[in-house]
Amino acid sequence: MLSAATLIPYPRWLNPADNTWQLISATLVGLMSLPGLAVLYGGLVRKKWIVNTMLMVFSGFSLTLVVWMLWGYNLAFGQLAHFGPTGSFWSGFIGHFQPLSTAGAEQGQAVSGANTLIPFHFSTATLAYFQFVFAAITPLLFLGGLVGRLKFKAWLMIVPLWITMVYCVNAALIWGGGFFSQKGAVDYSGGYVIHLSAGVAAFVGAAILGPRRWQDRENAFPSNLMMVAVGAGILWLGWNGFNGGDPYYAGVDAASAVLNTNVATAVGVLTWLLWDMFLSKQKKPTFLGAINGMLCGLVAITPSAGWVNGTGAIIVGLTSSTVVWFAWNFLSKVRPFSKVDDALGVVYTHGFAGLTGGLLVGLIADPGMTQYGVAGPHYKGAGGFSVGGWFFTHNFHQLWEQFLAALWIIGYTAVGTSLIFYIVKFVLGGLRESDETLAIGDIAIHDEEAFPEPTFGEPVGSPSHLHPDNV
Amino acid sequence: MKLVTAVVKPFKLDEVKFAVKEVGITGMTVSQVRGFGHTGGHIEIYRGKEYEFDFVDRIRVEIVCTDELVEALIDAIVNAARTDTVGDGVAWVTDIEHVVRIRTNERGPAAL
Repeated sequence: MLSAATLIPYPRWLNPADNTWQLISATLVGLMSLPGLAVLYGGLVRKKWIVNTMLMVFSGFSLTLVVWMLWGYNLAFGQLAHFGPTGSFWSGFIGHFQPLSTAGAEQGQAVSGANTLIPFHFSTATLAYFQFVFAAITPLLFLGGLVGRLKFKAWLMIVPLWITMVYCVNAALIWGGGFFSQKGAVDYSGGYVIHLSAGVAAFVGAAILGPRRWQDRENAFPSNLMMVAVGAGILWLGWNGFNGGDPYYAGVDAASAVLNTNVATAVGVLTWLLWDMFLSKQKKPTFLGAINGMLCGLVAITPSAGWVNGTGAIIVGLTSSTVVWFAWNFLSKVRPFSKVDDALGVVYTHGFAGLTGGLLVGLIADPGMTQYGVAGPHYKGAGGFSVGGWFFTHNFHQLWEQFLAALWIIGYTAVGTSLIFYIVKFVLGGLRESDETLAIGDIAIHDEEAFPEPTFGEPVGSPSHLHPDNV
Repeated sequence: MKLVTAVVKPFKLDEVKFAVKEVGITGMTVSQVRGFGHTGGHIEIYRGKEYEFDFVDRIRVEIVCTDELVEALIDAIVNAARTDTVGDGVAWVTDIEHVVRIRTNERGPAAL
């Protein structure tokens, strides 16, 4: 007969706090996409593109989850497929192509190739969902470079191909225990795998796709700054899950990562504001500028959230917001940047900011910070894992590894994205909607508009008001 | 009877309303309009890019009144809406053939 003790609903390896925090973090990150990016982008595009943009966000999120269950999760985070000798590049390139579908697979204890120090205290379903929301937001980020002319069908093809061929490879190489993680490159929550990669994909994709109509570029003013505020706020606070969830334990490392994330972001906002007020042509503070600064802080602290200390977080916010401010205002005027219509500027706020943050790890990562709980001041000698930048180690080893990983991300993402865009272009006979359709926007593509107003006053309707039910 | 139409700056609408009531007018119709005159448009800047907004926001005020009240009404509007800067707007007067009060079917000045 079963005693009460045997009915505790947790397997021995499961820690309810870890599992709870992991699921909450994942949900926070999911909220960054839905509705975060949907309303942020909806607010930044012209009124006639709101519906199209939001639908691409929702459909992209859905597509990624299906791909994730069928093969994406195991490709990126399952056991590596070992195509070459142990330790070689091809050995740590990608996982197995198999679905995550059985009860055993979902209910079992989560394992990851990157973390062999201590076991995860939650299930594979938790880890798969947590990793999914990161995968899902990546194409939604590079969507920002493509809005306002991309065919909807093209988007439906680009997302699964890109997740499979680009995201899963980068994730396996840097997070899944693959080649670059074996070499020692680190990316706390996706400064490289997500943001740098999304920035490159937006830029390369926009180049292949071609610019928006000149009329649309000339009149690209935003539709609703209040919706931008809603989306941006969700992004900021959602980032507590983005970076706070990546220690995989609801412990001190998670807390430090959350605090550092917010510090870097606040500094990023203020830095951009100051540059706007003292160096811009109009010398005026702008709301959308502050939001750019916010993104710079968030993105740049992503690769380093738990590796830097509080001072480091301030440096990250200051540096990234400054680098991107100058890139946004000056680099954008020179080739090739002036020639590519990256509609919402993803290459700046995600590409440059992600690269800046990833390299800063090699300079200012503090070995006294995240150590996966088993080392650190309280556990000295237990043999943990920590990251030290030049400022602490006085050598450039970490910076060099960060640099090589960045080169890979930029190069591979550019090649992979190009290939995918040309394949889709060939299959569909073009990536763009017709100019007539582009002139109209949402109504032409979806028979919907963001603010429907079929008539003035209160509509009466005819002839259904004559129906007995309505009298 | 006359129709007085005035296009004024939005922040002057309340003053115009009070001034018009002082004259003894019992009703007015307003609408939000956009246009350009000597002021031209203005520039707004989003994410570092300048956009020309050619048409500026104004309020169109329409008042139907008796012939005797026209001059006093125009004086009231001018005094209330003036800021002595470019873009204060214009007012014009047109003849009205007929007026009907919909509720009572009264015609002419009695309908006002």
